[in-house]
Amino acid sequence: MVFLALAALLAGIACGLLGGDLPAVDALLASSDLVLNLLMFSVGVSIGLQRGIARKIAQYNLRALVIPLGVTIGSVAGGVVCSLVTGYPLAESASIAGCMGWYSLGGVTIGALSGGMYGGVAFLSNLMREMLSFFCIPLLARHLSPAACIAAAGATSEDTTLPMMMKYTSEEDVVLSVLNGAICSAFVPVLIPLCYQLFGA
Amino acid sequence: MLTILLMCAGVLIGKLLFPERWAGANGRLQVVLTVLLIFTMGVSIGRNDDLLRNLTSIGLDSALFCVIPMAASVALVYLVARRAFAAKEGE
Repeated sequence: MVFLALAALLAGIACGLLGGDLPAVDALLASSDLVLNLLMFSVGVSIGLQRGIARKIAQYNLRALVIPLGVTIGSVAGGVVCSLVTGYPLAESASIAGCMGWYSLGGVTIGALSGGMYGGVAFLSNLMREMLSFFCIPLLARHLSPAACIAAAGATSEDTTLPMMMKYTSEEDVVLSVLNGAICSAFVPVLIPLCYQLFGA
Repeated sequence: MLTILLMCAGVLIGKLLFPERWAGANGRLQVVLTVLLIFTMGVSIGRNDDLLRNLTSIGLDSALFCVIPMAASVALVYLVARRAFAAKEGE
């Protein structure tokens, strides 16, 4: 998926630079809101299809929520710090950080809300988070804890970074990792508009 | 707001109506829609001269937006989980 996304981004940039005004591309640009809405609906269906999540959370006696809540609060707080460092508006900064590694959805959603530049930063920074966490998991597992590995991976801890979790942590941690990824992934589409509402001017 | 409502409608349909055997097709649909959206984002970046001129600073900003939230998440979860999961083992 990482390579597919990068290829689509590069093809799009090349098309924008060289293609002039192709009618098909213009039509696609004009209907990007519709495509985004379809995507959100489809993401909702995926969340709805995941059976037994509530039961698994109950088994952990709500402690399973400690990690996703920590990841979410930590990410948004990090976004606030980034706003101070980079001078980006607070709403955009918190939203970009609130994507928690889900670069594809974050890039397109923030791009639709605030324009290509912020969408580009959301895409790139979250792609970097996914890749960096992938390679940091062995180090974090050795020097900190499995929970720290899950935190680094953010919303990606149920898919792309899961193989690394399986290799470097225990089976119980893998279950927590999947739970964290599912919960964070459900948070992201809500967190982005929430950050715009809370931090927007 | 509309996007959240649509997502909630999706969750309900996924839970109550959507056949599980179509989960794979739903996943593939997400890939196609995501690729289309990323492509359109690329086009708007490619058509924006200012943005291309600022590509170096965008790369640097992105690195900050990667490292700082990730470090904050790791630090917070490490500290909180150590207490929460230690309490569980102590029970």
